[in-house]
Amino acid sequence: MTTLIEARDLTKKYGKHTALDRASFNVEPGRIVGLIGPNGAGKTSALRAILGLTTYEGRLSVLGHEPFRERAALMHDACFIADVAVLPSWLMVDQAIDFVAGVHPRFRRDRATALLAKTNVTGKRRMHELSKGMKTQVHLALTMAIDAQLLVLDEPTLGLDILARRAFYDALVNDYMDETRTILITTHQVEEIENLLTDVLFIEKGRIVLDSSLEEIATRYAAVAVTADRLDAARAERPFYERRMLGKVILYFENPDHQKLAEFGELHTPTVSDLFVAKLSGAAQ
Amino acid sequence: MNTSSSANTMVWLVRREFWENRAIWMLPAVIGGLLILAALFGTYQVLGAADLATVQAVVQAGAVDGMLMIVILFFIVMSIYSTWYLLDCLYADRKDRSILFWKSLPITDTATVLCKLGVALIVIPCIYFAIADATTLLVSFIVSVRASTYVGGSLWHASNWIGIQGLWLYLIVTSAVWYLPLAGWLLVVSAWAKRAVMLWSILPPVAVILAERLLIGTHVLASELGERLGGYFAQAFQYTPGDANWVVTGIPDHGSITTPVSVLRFVNLEGFFSSPETWIGAVVGVALIAAAVQLRIRRTET
Repeated sequence: MTTLIEARDLTKKYGKHTALDRASFNVEPGRIVGLIGPNGAGKTSALRAILGLTTYEGRLSVLGHEPFRERAALMHDACFIADVAVLPSWLMVDQAIDFVAGVHPRFRRDRATALLAKTNVTGKRRMHELSKGMKTQVHLALTMAIDAQLLVLDEPTLGLDILARRAFYDALVNDYMDETRTILITTHQVEEIENLLTDVLFIEKGRIVLDSSLEEIATRYAAVAVTADRLDAARAERPFYERRMLGKVILYFENPDHQKLAEFGELHTPTVSDLFVAKLSGAAQ
Repeated sequence: MNTSSSANTMVWLVRREFWENRAIWMLPAVIGGLLILAALFGTYQVLGAADLATVQAVVQAGAVDGMLMIVILFFIVMSIYSTWYLLDCLYADRKDRSILFWKSLPITDTATVLCKLGVALIVIPCIYFAIADATTLLVSFIVSVRASTYVGGSLWHASNWIGIQGLWLYLIVTSAVWYLPLAGWLLVVSAWAKRAVMLWSILPPVAVILAERLLIGTHVLASELGERLGGYFAQAFQYTPGDANWVVTGIPDHGSITTPVSVLRFVNLEGFFSSPETWIGAVVGVALIAAAVQLRIRRTET
């Protein structure tokens, strides 16, 4: 299968501010990719460019389309929920289903109604009558009922309580995801999604600082908790980040010499969130 | 996209506009309802103490005037509503940010803009036409029954009815062409403004007019705009008082009443469509609509 998203030197400027600075990355089919970065790192700009909502410089191909010029054609095979997207207040739930069913050839009404049946939302309600969580559930049901090759989620569970968030991610992995689909997702709650991701893209100041699969992370990075007496010896192995915790110091290494590091304590693969903090703070240290 | 699926998308887009803007049909329905209520329960007052023959003569001669009044009332309300609709239609979903939901669907921005334009210039006028017709029919019926002695069959001349239908069709087509540049401008503002669409629709032309007057000392734009906004009836219709288009009905002891022979006599079909002003305006309108589409593609935030 061919590459789904191909970005080369993707750049987006707003006046003097550079939101994306020659970012290059690929997204392969069948993956669940987390685009992770601090506020203002360029996550939303990257997603907007991928979805054809904004102009950009550089080269970008999504499902073989040039997003900005061919947004409508792209939306046949891709769908998205943007963080700020809200369903219009006047729209009835039934109307929303009818409309998407009417204009989207890949929409499966039965799936949307099945997803909504699990919620407390009824068809005759207008969006302004629904709570924020219910609105999000309607939006997710509409989007997940589209047989798209690419699903882009920008903070999809914003405003949902923990039960609804868990239910959403379970449905995403168990009911929605299969080898024909690809998901690109951003969220601030990295802990909640790190178990389902297959790949991560770390973005900082408009640049991609890490582009890796989770398997690669396991071989490329290691963390070891070191007691104070061995700290200087361990530091000689040049960790890129360290963090104090419960009287020990956790040191993070890139391209580690596993045998050597094992002398200082038990080695483990850092979690995505730890690695994210380590990578971004490490650069500053 | 093939033709059948884009036609299908258009149907859904128009339906969507009805869901969002229920005033499209509610406003004319309320006006029609009020006129019907007035016909049902109002007190008819005709020429004070005039005799039966005089009143019959006046009703006979003036029936077409009454029908025209209804057309004009609906046309004025429609013009105001459509102006507001065009100004709001590409702004509302940017304001409530639902534009990102609409843009997540496989619908081109060109289709979206053209649909809204079509609703304003064709769908809304056709609805006003239908409701105005139904209203005229019911009011005529009620008046004929309630005041049968005076009115008799004078409200039911086929030529009057055919004339009104023709007039509506002529109004819909010519006003759409004449006001195309205005519609295009309103769409541009609606697709572009971050807030205060009303203000933005008025301020730039006023600023240019003032700048022209102060810097160059001319008022070309002011007169062009005035001509466009106020010149529709002069362009689309022709009438000269006292000529063969008018019937003067003498009424004993009350002078006379002047009514049009047929409303279609005033239609200036050939003059309207052969005038360069009509087509220059249309070209400007098309350019502005194209600009609105480009803005719609680029602007997703307010």
